[in-house]
Amino acid sequence: MIKFYIDGREVTAKKGETILQVARREGIYIPTMCYLPKVKPIESCRLCVVEVEGVEGFVLSCQTPPTPDIKVKTNSAELFTHRQNIMKLYDVNHPLECGVCDKSGECDLQNKTLEFMVNSQEFTAKDQNRKIKDWNYIQYDPSLCILCEKCVHVCNEVIGDDAIEIEYGGYKSQIIPKDAPTLECTFCGECIAVCPVGALISKDFQYSANAWELRRVPAACAHCSAACHLYYEIKHASIDNPEPKIYRVKNEYEFANLCGAGRFGFDFENKAVKDENAFNNALKAFKKADTIKFNSIITNEEALILQKLKEKFGFKLINNEAKAYQKFLKKYSEFSGRTLYSADLEDIKNSDFIIIFGTMVATDNPAVRYAMTVSNRKRNSEIINFHPMEDELLKNVVTKFVRYEVGTEEGVMAMLANALLSKEDKENIDKEWFEDLDIGYLSAESNVGEEEIEDVLKRLTRKRRVRAKRSTLILGEDLYTHPRAENIARLAGLIDRFTDFDVMIIPPRTNTLGVSLICDLDEEEGEFVIGYNTEGDFVLSALGDGDLDMPALNQQEGTFTNIDKRVVPTNVALPYEGYVLNDIARALGVSDKEYTIEFTKELPKEKGFKAIDFDELPNYFTNAGQEERGYILESNKVAISRERVEEIEELPEFNGIVVYRCEPVLQFNPFTAKTHQLNFSSELVGSKQFSIAAKLKDGDEVVIKTSFGEIKRVFRIDTSLKGTIGLLETFDMGLSYFDILSDYRYQVIKIEKASGQ
Amino acid sequence: MMSLEQFKSRYVGSQNYKLIEIEEYPTTPWGKFKRVVKRTFKTELFVGLKIVFMEMVRFNIHTIQYPKEKLPIGARYRAIHKLLRLLESGNERCIGCGLCEKICIAKCIRIDTKIDENGRKVPTEYTINFGRCIFCGYCAEVCPELAIVHGPDYENASDQRAHFALKEDMLTPIDKLKEQKEYPGFGAPTPEADRLIKKTPLAY
Repeated sequence: MIKFYIDGREVTAKKGETILQVARREGIYIPTMCYLPKVKPIESCRLCVVEVEGVEGFVLSCQTPPTPDIKVKTNSAELFTHRQNIMKLYDVNHPLECGVCDKSGECDLQNKTLEFMVNSQEFTAKDQNRKIKDWNYIQYDPSLCILCEKCVHVCNEVIGDDAIEIEYGGYKSQIIPKDAPTLECTFCGECIAVCPVGALISKDFQYSANAWELRRVPAACAHCSAACHLYYEIKHASIDNPEPKIYRVKNEYEFANLCGAGRFGFDFENKAVKDENAFNNALKAFKKADTIKFNSIITNEEALILQKLKEKFGFKLINNEAKAYQKFLKKYSEFSGRTLYSADLEDIKNSDFIIIFGTMVATDNPAVRYAMTVSNRKRNSEIINFHPMEDELLKNVVTKFVRYEVGTEEGVMAMLANALLSKEDKENIDKEWFEDLDIGYLSAESNVGEEEIEDVLKRLTRKRRVRAKRSTLILGEDLYTHPRAENIARLAGLIDRFTDFDVMIIPPRTNTLGVSLICDLDEEEGEFVIGYNTEGDFVLSALGDGDLDMPALNQQEGTFTNIDKRVVPTNVALPYEGYVLNDIARALGVSDKEYTIEFTKELPKEKGFKAIDFDELPNYFTNAGQEERGYILESNKVAISRERVEEIEELPEFNGIVVYRCEPVLQFNPFTAKTHQLNFSSELVGSKQFSIAAKLKDGDEVVIKTSFGEIKRVFRIDTSLKGTIGLLETFDMGLSYFDILSDYRYQVIKIEKASGQ
Repeated sequence: MMSLEQFKSRYVGSQNYKLIEIEEYPTTPWGKFKRVVKRTFKTELFVGLKIVFMEMVRFNIHTIQYPKEKLPIGARYRAIHKLLRLLESGNERCIGCGLCEKICIAKCIRIDTKIDENGRKVPTEYTINFGRCIFCGYCAEVCPELAIVHGPDYENASDQRAHFALKEDMLTPIDKLKEQKEYPGFGAPTPEADRLIKKTPLAY
């Protein structure tokens, strides 16, 4: 702790904190143009200068850590003139189009120009002919750009796309796509978010509304389990139509991230009115039914209502995807001694060594990818990716890729556990089991060479030698649906308990973790099934194609349990006129609550939830960047099971045409597919090699025979892919999408060309 | 008689006003009594009646025969709004910046904007709810393009309380562009504007 003074006030800095960080934390204002807390100081604006007593000249507060007892002055006549001069330079030839600029009203340049009272242009430079660039979802106007470099840094240091760079050329400098004629990236839109002026904007939003007209609703993104913090920005649809409409999504870009699906896929609402007939039919169906089938894209409160329905009427609750996760987590906790997994996204950001196993993480859960990028850039961490397919999107981040054969996850996990656990630990755990382990066989079948595991270990020892603090093992969706999932979970539990690795078990859907904690799930379906956002004999659907409409997650308030084991609140962005699940529960005598959120404080305490009212849940970031959203679940102690780790089964072989169920960038599920900016259809994607093996040409229409029936797809060759496994996209399958999630993600398929070709 | 030019000028201090001298009011009861007696026996009433009678005989009547006759309206009068066009191109002046909508204290203005095929921001619809408008003139004053102004049409009696105006009601018709007059009221550049403007240095 370093004690020093800012403007006469005594403040303390933690180790590594800069003057600016301390000032921000303490609420002391220092103007900046290029400072972005989540990346390294950019130092391009030089507006954050301060005076330090006894030091000649100005000091850049964004990159200077304080020394004890210095006296910092954030404001003086000289500083004001200095900053004013900088603003004068920024304003040279800046187009006077505030009247139409999307950024007007929330523009850093506008604010600081007014703050430093620049009202005329005294300098001059010959203006350049700069063309506006059209980059798919993004528009770039170089004449508005002030070259603060925030976008370049966030793209490289946080997202990991590394898709843009600065073309240096003095006054002609501008942002250009890196090594490409046009921008090809994951379109997360973070560059739009961080742009302090109107240079990078969302094309869809452009000129449709002004910043000050929009009402901000703080919410949580409903698309994946990261449940990132976001704001839905709302205004009436038009003069003729007073109904509110979401115009765009913004986020707390200084501290948090948001992927493209969250940013551009926001209008998945379900418009409905109270249909009494349908409601009565629903009640009849509930009387008749013995099973409720649902998916994990619901709130914790809804999950609790379903659980209460089960308790009163004995419904079977079917959610195979959450069931698989629940079983995995349970076995894991029996071997690790804790109810929940140990790592969160912040831990990943602070890790020096990361092993990621069984997930196409860049598309499955972009937040994990961003956290890994941060750790790689900030701490130069080793990131080892174990997967049958090399992910092109991770090439900037992953330091070693280990390919294993499809279906051999259990063997790979055994090899990992064998390598990571120390000799003494192995003897304590189960000496016999480890001795029986036939590493040669596993290595041969899984195609993971022993020398590769040794190399991983070598990298780990090298990291440990240099102050490495934290190691993380990230497990993904491929493992939970694996036939031998429980044994994999046992080994993961052991790694967590006996090594210094923290383990993250990525929840595969928005609220899978919440559902798996709240609901007692069954495996066998009954005779009459009520489907809540899944197929069934009577369907409640937020996609608008069921027997009774339900609100989508941007029309509901409630909480999600996210990947950080955090219960985060989300709010109503758009009104919903129809019936909600709580209305059904009330009619059936299960709920006495007027609003669904009254259940928030009744979430099960024994599972780690807290008795806090929904309205008491915080939902913001502090000045220092601390995430104050909801609360973190308590991870309780569990008695360690006396069960032995099972023998590794014979590793299966997948011969023939193998596809991997994997959604493309920007898509997660039918809800994202429904939104107007992300409205494209699923394809079958494969490498050149795959196309030869499957005898397909680019653009072929094919009928695919899968375990969940025949589906039609257009085949597309993706030259960035390698190997012989195809990617099968399923996000536009509507309600039936949620039925296939419990299958193992790889499968052998039969492909026929569609008739008529 | 004051000329219209003088009337329009907002620089009050620089004009020549004729000052009228007013007699001191009596403060004592005796003084007040004297004033009553003076007024009674001076027959001021008949003086007035005489003037009226003389003017009547001479037919020099100043009453305006509204609605057949109308007085000219001052430039700063704030009546029903108009949306103006650019005189050269005939394009709408409004750029859809939304400042009028924001500043409106009666919240009676609404604009819909979009991007047009030339990449410009255009207002697709513009409405003012005249049932709520208080004719404060802020919209005209804030408008950076002199696009929305107050016209001289003050006759807006209607059988409906919410008498909406759409864009087409307020916008200068394209065939009447020649008749469009520059607005000199609130928000217009002052006569001094040319003198006050600072030039931006140019590098070429």
